[in-house]
Amino acid sequence: MKRILLLLAAAVASAAQAQQPPAAGDAKAAEPYVSMCAGCHSIPGYQSSFPYVHRVPKIAGQSAGYIEAALRAYAKGERNHPTMTGLAKTLSDKQIADIAAYYAERGATAR
Amino acid sequence: MKKLIAVAALAALTVQGALAADIAAGAKLADAQCAACHGKDGKTPTDPTYPKIAGQYSDYLLKALNDYHKGLRKNPVMAAIAKPLSKSDMENLAAYFGSLPGPLTHRK
Repeated sequence: MKRILLLLAAAVASAAQAQQPPAAGDAKAAEPYVSMCAGCHSIPGYQSSFPYVHRVPKIAGQSAGYIEAALRAYAKGERNHPTMTGLAKTLSDKQIADIAAYYAERGATAR
Repeated sequence: MKKLIAVAALAALTVQGALAADIAAGAKLADAQCAACHGKDGKTPTDPTYPKIAGQYSDYLLKALNDYHKGLRKNPVMAAIAKPLSKSDMENLAAYFGSLPGPLTHRK
């Protein structure tokens, strides 16, 4: 009986694992192309001038899942910003996951 | 002359008061409306696809809230929350979360 319970628990655990989002991106793989992000997102206080003036958000340390969701939303037109829409549309799913992983591990507390 | 300076100082204070967001009011609203998903501290979201907002630039947060409020940015949960907010509600929330310590940085 104990063994059955154990097996059941293992099965439940692996099912739970299977439901996790797809494997995290590869931060290292993003290194060659994150320069396209740094020009705006890595300059403290840099202002987005069009279509609305505001400081460009800090993205280092952000949740990887949110960065992915944001890039996909730009690519699909659910969010609009000329620069971000243009860039997001050129990215593959793998590149999006890699960029998300890259910035997620660069937070103030996640060194 | 002294009186003039006093009046000018008072006027300056009043103007500043009218422009400054009310962080305490933002905190109260945040506990009721935002904490359940973004975390009470604004940096422990309950789902990996939700952003950390503590310490984010307040003018960016205000732009995001405005866009949700107007339907320019599409997300069912945020649309429902932002729609009934007033302009000052959004300003107060943005100022509050912008004032919190958080993990977001400019690192390359």
